[in-house]
Amino acid sequence: MIEVRDLVKSVKTSEGLLTILNGINLSIAEAETVAIVGASGSGKSTLLGLMAGLDGATSGDVLLDGNSLAAMDEEQRAILRGQLVGFVFQSFQLLPSLTALENVMLPIELKGESDPFGKAKLLLQRVGLDERWHHYPNQLSGGEQQRVAIARAFATQGRILFADEPTGNLDTATGSKIIDLLFSLNREFSTTLVLVTHDERLAEKCDRSISLVAGQIVSDVLNKEPAGA
Amino acid sequence: MPNSKASSITDTKYYSTLTSIALRLLWRDWNGGEIRLLFLALVMAVTSVTGIALFTDRLERALILESANMLAADRVMGSGRPLPEQIWAEAQNRNLRTAQTLSFTSMAFSDSGNMLVSAKAVSDTYPLRGEVIIADAAFTRGVPVLNGPPVGEVWLETRALPALGIEVGDSVYVGEAQLKVGKIIIAEPDRSGGSMIDNAGPRLMLSMEDVEKTNVVQVGSRVSYRYLFADDSLENLDSFEQWVSDEYDGEYRLRDVRDESQEVSDALNRAESFLLLGSLFAVLLAGIAIALTAKRYSERHFDYVAILKTFGCTSSQISYIYLTIQLVLAACSILVGCLLGWLVHVGILSLLQSVITVELPAAGYQAYVIGSLTALICLLSFALPPLLALKETPPLRVLRKDISQQTIGDSVPYLFGVGGAIFLVLWYSQDFVLTGVLVAAITGIAILLSGISFLFLQTTGSVGMKAGSAWKLAMTAARRRRKQNVLQVMVFSVTIMSLLVLTLLRTDLINDWQAQLPENTPNHFMMNISQNQVPEIESFFAANGISGNTFYPLISARVNTINGAVPDPDDDMEAEESSGTVTEGAGESSSRYEELRSSLDQTTGAAETASDAEEPEEEEQVGGRLSRRQVTWATDLPAENLITGGQWWGENSAPGYVSIEDEYASWLDIELGDTIEFEINNQTIEAEVSSFRNVRWDNMQPNFFIIFSPGTIDHLGATFISTALMENDQKLLLNDLVRLFPTVVVIEVDALIEQIQTIIAQVTSAIELISVLVLVSGALVLLSCVNATLDERFHENAILRTLGAGKKLILNSLLIEFAFIGAIAGLVATLGAEATLYYLQEEIFEQEFSFHYWVWLAGPLLGMIVIAGLGVNSTREVVSISPLNVLRRVA
Repeated sequence: MIEVRDLVKSVKTSEGLLTILNGINLSIAEAETVAIVGASGSGKSTLLGLMAGLDGATSGDVLLDGNSLAAMDEEQRAILRGQLVGFVFQSFQLLPSLTALENVMLPIELKGESDPFGKAKLLLQRVGLDERWHHYPNQLSGGEQQRVAIARAFATQGRILFADEPTGNLDTATGSKIIDLLFSLNREFSTTLVLVTHDERLAEKCDRSISLVAGQIVSDVLNKEPAGA
Repeated sequence: MPNSKASSITDTKYYSTLTSIALRLLWRDWNGGEIRLLFLALVMAVTSVTGIALFTDRLERALILESANMLAADRVMGSGRPLPEQIWAEAQNRNLRTAQTLSFTSMAFSDSGNMLVSAKAVSDTYPLRGEVIIADAAFTRGVPVLNGPPVGEVWLETRALPALGIEVGDSVYVGEAQLKVGKIIIAEPDRSGGSMIDNAGPRLMLSMEDVEKTNVVQVGSRVSYRYLFADDSLENLDSFEQWVSDEYDGEYRLRDVRDESQEVSDALNRAESFLLLGSLFAVLLAGIAIALTAKRYSERHFDYVAILKTFGCTSSQISYIYLTIQLVLAACSILVGCLLGWLVHVGILSLLQSVITVELPAAGYQAYVIGSLTALICLLSFALPPLLALKETPPLRVLRKDISQQTIGDSVPYLFGVGGAIFLVLWYSQDFVLTGVLVAAITGIAILLSGISFLFLQTTGSVGMKAGSAWKLAMTAARRRRKQNVLQVMVFSVTIMSLLVLTLLRTDLINDWQAQLPENTPNHFMMNISQNQVPEIESFFAANGISGNTFYPLISARVNTINGAVPDPDDDMEAEESSGTVTEGAGESSSRYEELRSSLDQTTGAAETASDAEEPEEEEQVGGRLSRRQVTWATDLPAENLITGGQWWGENSAPGYVSIEDEYASWLDIELGDTIEFEINNQTIEAEVSSFRNVRWDNMQPNFFIIFSPGTIDHLGATFISTALMENDQKLLLNDLVRLFPTVVVIEVDALIEQIQTIIAQVTSAIELISVLVLVSGALVLLSCVNATLDERFHENAILRTLGAGKKLILNSLLIEFAFIGAIAGLVATLGAEATLYYLQEEIFEQEFSFHYWVWLAGPLLGMIVIAGLGVNSTREVVSISPLNVLRRVA
C-alpha cells in the first residue's frame, strides 16, 4: 500500500545543510498497522509528512497505492490525499469556527460525496458524540475533540490513516480510550494505519514497529501478524 | 496517478459545495468577529466615496438650479452692444430656450418726485430659471411669477415708491413713456448679477416692447445687454458654449454661475479640492485598514488552509473559497456602503436645506458605480493579495506550526496596495501631476518617518525582559518589537498625519472664508464723492446709525518711468497670472466684475474695489506705456494689507513716497528705493518706493495697487470712495442719501454678499461632514493597526502572568508601550502634516502657509492618548481572563 524508496529530506539552516531523513526504505502492506517510534528530532514526523504527501522529499520517492508522490505537484498530491488518506493529529486540528458535525462533514463535502450530513452524523454516533454534534471545538474536552478528529479521519473512508501522536495531548485514561476507538474503527474499515508515537505500549498494539534514530531506520520489528495476513 | 477531480470541479454541485463551505466560513468568521473590521473598512471606503460622489453630483445639479438665482438662466452672455444675429439663430437652432434683458440707468418721474433708477427691460420669456417675486404692497411675502411685466406696465422695487411718492396703480414716466406701476418687486432672480448699471439705484422693470416708447436708449447710450440661455441638457449647453468660443475666438463668451462670482468660484473650487482630498484620504485610510485587517485575517487562516489542504483541498479550490468570501463581503459592503453613502449625502443636504431652496433632481447612478468600483479596487489591491497568498500555505503546517507562507514575498501585498492606491488617486483626481506629487510626497514622508521611528526605537542591546518595572518592561517590549513597531508607527503616523492635515486645512479654509466676508462686511459702495461731501456723508451716517468706513481719495494715474526707464513688464508673470495661481481673483477678467469695473472706470472714475481688482496681466501697454489705473493716498495702512518689504510711513509721514502691491511690483520689476514717475492729471509726479504690500483682493473692500504718502498728490484733486454696512431696515435711507448727494453713485452689493455667504456656509457644512467621515476611517485604521500585533502581545503577557506578573504591572507596561509608540507617531505625524500642509496650501489651495505651533504639542499628545487608549482597551482582556484561557486562545 505504501512504498518508501531511498527517501532523503534535507533542509538548509544557517549552519549548513541538515539531513533529517537519510535513505529511508520501507514497505507497508494494505490494512497493516505500523508504528513509527523514536526520540524527539529523530525524523518520525517528517517521515509521516512525506509519506502522507504533505511535503516534498529532497530525493527518493513514496508510492501511495502505486501513485508516485515524487512525480506529483502539490495540487495532485492534494487530490490524492482527498481520495486516499485520513489524518489524526496530536493537536486535533479541528477548525474552530465549525461545529463538530461540520468538521466531520468537511472532507466528505470536499470529496464531493453525497449526504455529508447523514454520513457525518453516523460517524459522530459511532465515536459517541451524537449528542454534541452542534458543539464547537472549544466547547469540547481534549478527548472529545480527538474523537471528532477520528470521526473526520474516517469520514471519506480513505484506505490509509496517518496518526501523529494521537494521544500526545491526552491523559492516560482518555488516551487509552481514544486508542481503542482508533483501532476499533481501523479494523472496521480495514484501513492501513501509520502511527507516529513515543508511547511504547501504543506501538506494541500495532502489527509492526519501526524505530528511527537520527533520520535512519534502526529497527523494524513485527509485533504480531497483520490482521489481514 | 490519482483520479483527477477536474471533472468534478466543473460540476455545478461541486462548486455549490465549495460555495457553501465559503459561506459557512464567512458566517463563522463574522460571528467570531474576525471579519467585521475588514467589512467595516470596506463599508467606510464605499460610504465615503459614494456619499461624496452623490453630494458633489447633486451639488453640481443644485448649482445649476441655484444659478437661477444669480443668472435667471443656465448661461448668460453680457455685452455693451447687441449680440450678432448668428449667435441668436444658432441658439434657436439648437433648441435652447432664450431670453433677453436690457439694462440702463434712467430718471423715473412721478407727479411728486423723481429718482435715478436701474431700469431693466425684459423679453416675454424672462426669466428662464427662477422666479420673479411680486406683491401688491410693500414689505409683504409676495407671489412668484414666471414672467416680467406686461406691455405698458412697470414693476418697482419697494424703496422707489416712497421716493417717488406713488402707490401701486399710479403712473411713472420713464423717458417719454408713461407706464403704470403694476407690482412691487420683492425678489428678482438675477438681482445680484448684472453690471454696475443694475446696481446704481432701485430696480424698475419693464417690458422689452416698451423700451422704444421711452426713447431713452439711443445710439451711444450706456446700456447693458444680457442674453440668457437655458436647456435641461448640460451637454447641449456645453456644446453651444464651445461653438460660441470657437466661432468668435473668445470675443463672446457664455458664463455660468462660477464665472459670475470669483468668490463663489473660489469657494467652490477649494471645497471641491477639499472634498477630493477628503475622499482620497478616507479611501486611502480605509485601504490601509483593509490591508491590515486582511493581512491579520489571512494569518489567522494559515491553519485553516493547511487543514483544508490536508483533507484534499487544492490550491484552486482554496482560491475559489476565499475569492467567494471576498466577493460576498464586497457585495454586502457595497450594499451597506451605498446605503450609508446615500444617508451621508442626505445628511449633508439636510444640513444645507435652509440654503438650498430649490427642489433637487435625483442624483445619477454614477456615484453608486464609483463607490462599488472603489470597493472592488480596494479589495483587489489591498485585501486579495494576502488572502490569495493563503493558497500557498504548505499543508505540512498541520504538523509544524513554525511553517508559514513561504512562496509569496511579504512585499508583494504591499506592492499591490501601493499600485491600487496610485490607481485610486489617479482615478479620482484625473490629474497625473497631482498623483505624481502625492505619491512622491507620501513615499518621501514614509521613508523619513520610518527612519525617524527606527531611530527612536533603536535598541541598546538590552538582554532579558526587564520585567522588574512597568516602564522598563514597556521600553524593552517596544525595542524588542521594533521592526513591527516601525511599521505600526508609520501607519499610525500616516493616519494621524492625514487627520491633522484635513483638520488644519479645514480650519484654515473656514477661517479664511470667514475672514474674507465677516458678518460686518460693508455691503454698499459709495463713489464719486467730492472732498467737501466727505464730512457731510460722515455726519449722515452717524445720524442714521450706519456704520461707515474710511474714505479713500481716488485719482487716475499712469506709471511713466521707473528709475528713468520705460517699464518693461515681465511677460512670464502674465503667463503665470493667467494660470490663476498667483493672486486671488485671477481669471476673473471676463467676469461680471469686468463690466462693473469698466462701468466704474468710465462713468465715475471709481476705485479698484475688491470685486473689481485688476490683475497685472490686464494692464496693457499702450504704445510702450502702461494704461491708467486708480490710485490713492492714505495715512494708515488699509485693513488686510500686509507690509512685505520696506516700511509703511507712520503718522509723521513725508510726501514723495509710494507703496506698491507686491505682485504688481514684481511684475514691473520694481525694487525698494526705486523712483517712479507718474502722470496724474497732466502733471508729472515722482515718488520713491518705500514699501511693498500684500493685498487681500477678495474681501469686498476698496483695494489699491498704488498708495501715495499724504502730501504727494493731494493737490491734484480727487473724488472719494467709501463703503458702508446698511442693514435691510436701513435700505430706505438710500433714498435720502442719493437725494441729499445727487452726484454720489451708490452700488448695492448686499444681495451679492448674502449669496456668497450662503454658498460659503453650505460648503463649510459639507466640509465638516467629510472631515467626520475621514476621522471615522482614521479610527478604523488605528484599531486595525493595534489589532494587527494583538496576538503576540497577548501571548507574551499571558506568559508573564503565568510567571507571576501582576495585573497592574502588565496594564501599566501596555499603557506605557502604546503611549510611547503613540507619542512618536504623533510627533512624526505633526512633522509630516506641516510639510504636507505647506505644499497643499501654497500650491493647491492658494493660501498663505503658517506654522501651527499648538499642533506640535497637540499631535504627540493626541497620538499618545488615542493609541494608548485603543491599545490598552484592545489588550486589557489579557488581565481579565485566566492565563490558561489566553494561552489556549493564542495557541
